[in-house]
Amino acid sequence: MATTEVMLRVGSHWPEAHKKPRDMARLALGVCHFTGIENLGVPFCMTIEAEAMGAKVNLGSMTNEPRVTEYPLVKLEDWKLLTGINPGKGRAGIVGEAISYLAEGNSELPVIVNLTGPISLAGSLIEPMVFFKAMGKHPELVHEFLCFITDNLIVFGRSMLQAGAQIINIADPSGTGEILGPRRFAEFALPYINRILNELQGEYQASMVHICGRLQSIFTEVDQLATNAISIDSNTSISKLRSALHEKVMVGNISTYLLQNGQPDRVKEVGLNCLQKGVAVLSPACGISPATPLVNLQAMVSAVHDFDYRNREVSILG
Amino acid sequence: MADQQIILDRLAEGVREMDEDLTIEASREALDKNVDALTAINHGLVVGMNQAGLLYEQEEYFVPELLLCSDAMYAGLDILSPHIQRADAEDKFKVVIGVVEGDTHDIGKNLVKLMLEVADFEIFDLGRDVPPADFVGKVKEVGADIVCLSTLMSTTMDRMVDVIELLKKEGLREKVLVMVGGGPISQAFADRIGADAYSENAVAAVTDAKRLIAPKKVAV
Repeated sequence: MATTEVMLRVGSHWPEAHKKPRDMARLALGVCHFTGIENLGVPFCMTIEAEAMGAKVNLGSMTNEPRVTEYPLVKLEDWKLLTGINPGKGRAGIVGEAISYLAEGNSELPVIVNLTGPISLAGSLIEPMVFFKAMGKHPELVHEFLCFITDNLIVFGRSMLQAGAQIINIADPSGTGEILGPRRFAEFALPYINRILNELQGEYQASMVHICGRLQSIFTEVDQLATNAISIDSNTSISKLRSALHEKVMVGNISTYLLQNGQPDRVKEVGLNCLQKGVAVLSPACGISPATPLVNLQAMVSAVHDFDYRNREVSILG
Repeated sequence: MADQQIILDRLAEGVREMDEDLTIEASREALDKNVDALTAINHGLVVGMNQAGLLYEQEEYFVPELLLCSDAMYAGLDILSPHIQRADAEDKFKVVIGVVEGDTHDIGKNLVKLMLEVADFEIFDLGRDVPPADFVGKVKEVGADIVCLSTLMSTTMDRMVDVIELLKKEGLREKVLVMVGGGPISQAFADRIGADAYSENAVAAVTDAKRLIAPKKVAV
């Protein structure tokens, strides 16, 4: 995450910060410095993996995130023609360099890397309509494709951890319960996310999975994710999810709309309420808009510092 | 006529059960048995698609199922539509639809488009990553009754505001109804930005669109 206010203050802007390692590192440091958020997060987009596998990407502007403009695949059966991610090349390599800068910086803050989830990456390599329909018509082909994608995500994730990152965050906005439903989430999303987490285990100090949207339909499946931390959207109820989880903590979930448009007092109030209800790590509910005012992010952080943890009404462990 | 109902039921079943082969077979049978093509579409295929929409609302079906149903429906339409006896071209209500600038996630938009088409709206699909000026330009060009704005990303929600502001600036806001939807969108957000409706999913979008145009219908 990054905001234009921080970009202006540190003199490192999107879209350059998506392709220049020093700019990327400087911007990540700037976000922590000016907001007080306690981790260094890179990269700032979800297109690096897709680009490395042949998708065309528009890097956007200072206010718009990069986005995929052309899929390398027309037919799913051609997935074998895709190139694998070379972690030393292109923007995949740039993220690695940025992580090295951050790790060498002797910061006390952990470096957290954002890895695109398998379903979302699939939907950046082929028209999602074609992909989702194949789940019904050619499930075996979808599994082959997802295996290949997962292998590549493991390679890329490993390279970022080896560059010096401590925490891995997998976000899969296109692989939600609302889109897939519980049965297909269990068949096509869960096993692949878990394979990444399991194969990289020992290489990260902590992991987290972010799933957008309402989770109600997939509480059981979410509990089976091989991570200790579930990051949730603002429309998922903290207390309902907590009762469905075992040995997992929740991360979240201040509305990004509130963060962008609300008053700092209100942001802090909502933040305190999230902590009261049992989130272990306070964070925005989803990707924040670059137009989010710094004062609101500072207000979010101040909630963490001012919350009286003795008064927490519930255990944070679900 | 009992025969006809059996064929219509099979058409609906083929679509609802995502069974392209059954839908194709039933569509050919409809033609063989001289079932009126328009009847076969409206009382067979469309019924099946609406049943699928209901299952989607009840969370029995999700996006993949709905897309597979639509494939079956279109397979039937390919066979039946060339045989429609064109009555006088009726005036359909016009809908301009697209994903706002900065976002390329268009599954939700495509589902809404599909269900609105099934409900007999005329759709102008601008695709994804659509600049505000393109929405407004199209609304003006076709004299749209409704404009539907979609986004999956919380970071691009504000582009909806840009479209509404531009509609106002061009003096079009009073002429066109604005519907918004997508993952991060809520009724509260729709209220705040002055949209006419927030639709939670593709089926609700049809209900909302019909509700919004009802006064216009009376006026016509």
